[in-house]
Amino acid sequence: MKDTSTEAALISLREVQKHYGDYHALRGIDLDIQPGEFFSLLGPSGCGKTTLLRTIAGFEDVGAGTMMIAGQDMRGVPANKRPTHMVFQSYAIFPHLSVAQNVGFGLRRRSDLNAQARNTLVEDALDMVGLDGYGTRAANALSGGQRQRVALARALILRPKVLLLDEPLSALDRKMREQMQEELIRLQRQVGITFILVTHDQEEALVMSDRIAVMFDGSIAQIAAAETLYRRPVSRRVAEFIGVMNFLPADLSGDAVTVPGLGTMFADAMQSQATTDSAPVIGFRPETATLLFDGQAAPDREAQGTITEVVYYGDMTYYDIDLNGAPQPIRVSMRNVFGRPLLDRGAPARVAWSPGAMTLFR
Amino acid sequence: MLRAYVIVFLVFLYAPIALLPVFAFNDGTVIAFPLDGFTTRWFGAMAGNPELRGALLNSLFVAVTSSVLSVLLGLAAARANIRYRFPGKAAAMGLIMIPLVLPEIIVATSLLVVVVRILDFPLSLWTVIAAHTLICTPFAIAILNASFQALDPAIEEAAIDLGETRASTFRLITLPLVAPGIVAALLICFTISLDEFIIAFFLTGSDPTLPVYIWSLLRFPRELPTIMALGTVLVVVSIAILTLAEWNRRRGLRRAGQADPGGFL
Repeated sequence: MKDTSTEAALISLREVQKHYGDYHALRGIDLDIQPGEFFSLLGPSGCGKTTLLRTIAGFEDVGAGTMMIAGQDMRGVPANKRPTHMVFQSYAIFPHLSVAQNVGFGLRRRSDLNAQARNTLVEDALDMVGLDGYGTRAANALSGGQRQRVALARALILRPKVLLLDEPLSALDRKMREQMQEELIRLQRQVGITFILVTHDQEEALVMSDRIAVMFDGSIAQIAAAETLYRRPVSRRVAEFIGVMNFLPADLSGDAVTVPGLGTMFADAMQSQATTDSAPVIGFRPETATLLFDGQAAPDREAQGTITEVVYYGDMTYYDIDLNGAPQPIRVSMRNVFGRPLLDRGAPARVAWSPGAMTLFR
Repeated sequence: MLRAYVIVFLVFLYAPIALLPVFAFNDGTVIAFPLDGFTTRWFGAMAGNPELRGALLNSLFVAVTSSVLSVLLGLAAARANIRYRFPGKAAAMGLIMIPLVLPEIIVATSLLVVVVRILDFPLSLWTVIAAHTLICTPFAIAILNASFQALDPAIEEAAIDLGETRASTFRLITLPLVAPGIVAALLICFTISLDEFIIAFFLTGSDPTLPVYIWSLLRFPRELPTIMALGTVLVVVSIAILTLAEWNRRRGLRRAGQADPGGFL
């Protein structure tokens, strides 16, 4: 876990506002990003995450509020004078230049380097992203994954303080994406540069980031590490956006919470509490409840129901279960460990659960 | 049925042009069949005519100058049109493009009135150049719009992000990538200006352009074969230039690895 004290922050945003005509794109963003951090901006399309990234890059002005990068106020500092470099969603490879010319483009302004030093830097950068020997190729003859690497090498060759990545993996197929995720993590650890990643893919954000800011409608809903975000979402909206969560209506009376199908529990015993815009509910993740097979006993509480759907994923099986008395089915995920049988649709089910895994939304 | 229609249409379209070289090489002053035998003397007469050479030089001067001016104006307009949003853009672009469809006789008459009556400006090749720039600019914009449309805006941003200024980004990135469009626009504007008659006829002073000179020759029947020879040369040059323009545009797209947004031709 990184230190989050504000004095050490590399990037510091206070009350940042942005309007496009009548459209309020950023509604008061407060954000501190630490040196060397892998930080993600996560949210659905149109939530303002790309606008925020482009504001940090200097392609959009800040309407109101302040933005500091490395202790310097960025108001009026154009994009070409900022210590940030960007990897664009389309990669923005210069199609008329070779791979080496693309990667070395940022060195043009470095008059302190001779041709030899430039070549060495370009070769090192290509080496770093696994493209050694590709320097003389035409940039537009490369595959998607290779263009991605050229864009990374081009942005990293100048060792910026901050690397901004705008949905860099969205154009790649699934296998390639997973491979690049791991490479980006490795690269970030290797160079120690602060990465800010914009993504709509919650899995990508969870896998790669030290911390994640979840954004909706131009505001940050929650900033937390992946595990906190997953286990202790601050609102029902965040909980629904990150992974899968079961929701059941909750009847509150004092400290007692009554849930149809599960029974009564105390709010104190629950994992966390969060907010919701609508009626109170409890929520829990599919993997925090367990199906009980013949003869197994529940360690904490037990609920009865009927299996309505079985979805087999190979390593996992998802069961939809109609708990007796509950208004809608819940989903339980089970690892397919060796020797564990698959249950059939329509079979009776016993579910082990615990109030300690529940979040109360009210 | 459709095939027959297309054939009839093409014959109707190109037969008169095909007659040009036939009579240009015909050894006789009467433009009629039967033909009188083969000769190249009309081409010789054409080359030896000092007035014709003067008209050709006038035309080349007008065409080169007005195509360069049109493309410079077109570059600014097309970039603004594709990259920026501003109030009144649709109206402004519409008004710029209108000379494309206005009857040339109307444009020519109104320009003549403005230049002579209101501005009291002497007619010369420069008034022709101004008018040709007016009618060529929409063509340049149409071609350059496609070039800028095919250019990912992130490419320019990437160059600025890597430390370049707006000016050096334009020189290093934008210009090389839209260069094929610029060349295509130059060639097409050049051809339009070279062939244009009505406006040149109204606005030229004592220096005729080539089409105006040709028109003046029509009064002398014995000069007709010379005009046929000149027409043959002009048709060949026009087709060559347009082919070059389109070839160059496609080559540029291939080099940049971009999808073809549909050329002007």
